[in-house]
Parts: sequence; C-alpha cells; structure tokens
Amino acid sequence: MPSSLKARTSGTTELLYESFLSRWLVIAVGLVRAYLARGSYHGLYYSIEKPLKYFQTGALLEILHCAVGIVPSSVVLTGFQVMSRVFLTWAVTHSVREVQSEDSVLLFVVAWTVTEIIRYSFYTFSLLNHLPYLIKWARYTFFFVLYPMGVAGELLTIYAALPYVQKTGLYSITLPNNYNFSFDYHTFLILVMISYIPLFPQLYFHMIRQRKKVLGHVEEYSKVE
Amino acid sequence: MFKMYPQWYPARQSIRLDPKGKSLKDEDVLQHLPVGTTATFYFRDLGAQISWVTVFLTEYAGPLLIYLMFYFRVPFIYVPKYDFTTSKHWVVHLACMCHSFHYVKRLLETLFVHRFSHGTMPLRNIFKNCTYYWGFAAWMAYYINHPLYTPPTYGEQQIRLALTVFLFCQIGNFSIHIALRNLRPPGSKTRKIPYPTKNPFTWIFLLVSCPNYTYELGSWLGFTLMTQCLPVAAFTLVGFIQMTVWAKGKHRSYLKEFRDYPTLRSPILPFIL
Repeated sequence: MPSSLKARTSGTTELLYESFLSRWLVIAVGLVRAYLARGSYHGLYYSIEKPLKYFQTGALLEILHCAVGIVPSSVVLTGFQVMSRVFLTWAVTHSVREVQSEDSVLLFVVAWTVTEIIRYSFYTFSLLNHLPYLIKWARYTFFFVLYPMGVAGELLTIYAALPYVQKTGLYSITLPNNYNFSFDYHTFLILVMISYIPLFPQLYFHMIRQRKKVLGHVEEYSKVE
Repeated sequence: MFKMYPQWYPARQSIRLDPKGKSLKDEDVLQHLPVGTTATFYFRDLGAQISWVTVFLTEYAGPLLIYLMFYFRVPFIYVPKYDFTTSKHWVVHLACMCHSFHYVKRLLETLFVHRFSHGTMPLRNIFKNCTYYWGFAAWMAYYINHPLYTPPTYGEQQIRLALTVFLFCQIGNFSIHIALRNLRPPGSKTRKIPYPTKNPFTWIFLLVSCPNYTYELGSWLGFTLMTQCLPVAAFTLVGFIQMTVWAKGKHRSYLKEFRDYPTLRSPILPFIL
C-alpha cells in the first residue's frame, strides 16, 4: 500500500479503532452493570443485544482494512473470523429467540468482548507507535483461554438452536418449487459445527506461531517500548 | 539431469537462468541462450505431475456417469419407492441427453481434437478439478432427476428455445475447437492469432478472443433455461467467472505476443468483458 495513503488514513483509523474500543468497553460495562443489578447472569444477552449487533456487524469494515493494508493481518483469516461472528450474532442468536437466554451466549459474548478490547487497544497503540508491552503480551497470551471459551460458547449455542430450527423449518426451502432447489438450515448448522473441527485448530496454532514470533523476538533484546 | 536424479523426471523439472525468472522451454538450445563460457542453471522441482489428457478424461467421465446414476434413480439417493423409476416429465429425459452429449463431446475432443501446449500439470489439480466437476454434477443431477422436480414455468416454448440455444452453442464451441486445432500443425507448439474461417460459427472471432468460452457459457445458459434449476444457474455462474479469468489472461498474452492483434476483440463477451 503506498505510504502516502497510509499516512493520510492512519489518523482516521486510529479514531476508528478508539471508537471500536470504547464501544466494546460499553458492552463490557453494560454486562457488568446488568449483572450487578440482576444478581444473576441469566438474560444478560438482552442488556447488550443492540450494541453487540451493531459493533459486530461494523467489524465487517475490518476486512476492508486488511485488504487495503492498514492492518497487517491476513484478509482471509480476519474475513473468516468476522463472518463467523456475524453469523453467530444474526443467523443464530438473533434468529432463534429461544437460545437468547442460554448461558452459552454469555460465554461467547464475554470471550469476544475481552478479546476485542485487547485487540483494539493493541491496534490503536500500535498505530500511535506507543505500544505498552503488557497489551502486546495480553493479546498474544489471553487467547489461550479466550479462543476455546468463545468456540465452546458458539458451538453450544448452535447446538441449542438445532431443535427449534428443525421444528419451525427456519430459513429452509423444501421441494417442490419453481427453482428446483432445497436448503435445510438444520443440516447446514450441523455442517457448520463440524467445520469447527478442521478450522479451529488451524486458527489456534496460527496464533501460537504468531506468539512465538512476536513475543519470542522481544526476549532477545531488552524491552524497547 | 534425469539420469543423476531419477525421481525428478523431465516433466517435473523447471530450469531457469535466474532464480526468479521464467522457466526455459524444452526447445531452447544452449548455444542460443544469453550465457558466457560457463552457464549457471537453477533447478526447481515442480512437484508430482500428471498428464493433461488424464486429468481431462477423469474430470469429464465423472459427471457423465454420476448424472446417469441420478437419472436412473439408483438406490440410496431418493426415497426407496422411487428406485429405478423414470421421471414423467419429458424435459428430464431431454436434459439427460443434453448433459450426456456435452460430456461425451468433451471426452472425444480431449482424445482427438485438442493439441495441448503443456504435457502435464501438478498432481493436486486432479483432486481440485474432480471435486468441482463431480460435485456440481451430483448437485445438479439430484434436483433435475428428483421425483418432485418442477418443469419450466413457460413449458414447451421455454424448453424449445433453451434447446436451440444449447445446440447452437455446442456446435459453435466445437467449431472453435476445430479452428484452434487447425492453427497448429501436429506435434508443434506454435502460437498464431486465430481468425474467422468459412464456418459461420467462427465469425465470432471478429469480436472475441476466446469464443470457445463464450459458446460454453451460452450452452450452460441454455441448459439452465431448459431445466429451470437454481444449482444449474450456480454452476453456470461459477464457470463463467473462471472462464472470464482465463479469457482475460489469454487475451493479455495475445496482446503481448502479437503487435498486430485486432483491437476490436474483447476477451469473452463482445464489447463488454
């Protein structure tokens, strides 16, 4: 990407990331407050439903950032992660009312929230060329727990949605019809769950490799940042 | 080279003068290369290779046989009471004939018409290509031969128009293949600009660089119209995207290689693409 374009856009990107960061903080604060108010963690989804939808969908912009080169992450990996989150948010949690009160929803919302707060802090500080080692360390260490936590929450939520999807025939098309096509959302969701088996380890090991590269590097010299 | 390292058979060898440059061709002669009294060559292993002919035969035989399995309603596909029954819609029989004709034509062309520039391609391509062709063939055939298949909305009119388009484009596609074959003497790998011949189906060369792809698109549009089946439309679309990529590449090579290349021509769709 031409350096002139990078210089011009980086100011806007920083602002963008700070705004994303603050929104995820909003979600985090919203969750904590609602928890304290209710005394239990049931139904917390409703307290952060709208912000979650807007911000997760807004994350689609991330793919553009990778494509244009503002962020050094891979388009494919980022695109994949954003798509899967948008899918979970809209096509599963929003669409199937009955799963919204499940604990598994909270599990992945918390995992996403913590991950994104760290990630956006990381990007923002990096762009400002003032990255505290703690943030870098957190970004490449917390995922050890957060990834499996998020995946567990996502899989359990999809699994919980299955009986309702089958019963109501949600998003499904049956034969006969004029376009000679059929789609079974229930089967599709099962296939999505199965796809986690090859995909999740790849992403996980990718992060582990990144960690070695990024954090291992710093141990050779003294801390510069 | 092959004598010293027998696992690297000639088709797998890529020899170049510069590590980042293009490979030398089989026909290049040592005396004519830009080297001094000693020459340094760089070798690259292209990986396991497989012949183009083998790949084409496999990837085309699959759809032919798979479609027929669905057409004859072989057990374990549809509900058991429909095993080995035939559809009551005549368009389903017509579609089977067209689909089968198309792939038989492709197989025969591979054996007797096409003259390939490269002998081989990487082995992994056969898995990728067969998944694509076989997978789509199964997906399309499942719905067209389904007991609950719905014939086209505009009935006989629509089917007749579709069949006309399909046949026209099949003949067109074949004409182009023959014209391209005749450009190249047997055993040679020369490249020439294709021009319209006496056959009217080749007059499209005036407007398009790769009319074989244009006609191929037309054939599948015809088949989509004939069957009114969404998976067929999807297959047509994906094929179109891939062929456009190939056509643009070919068009660019023509422009690079031939200074007098006709300017009126587009890669695949006249004036548009």
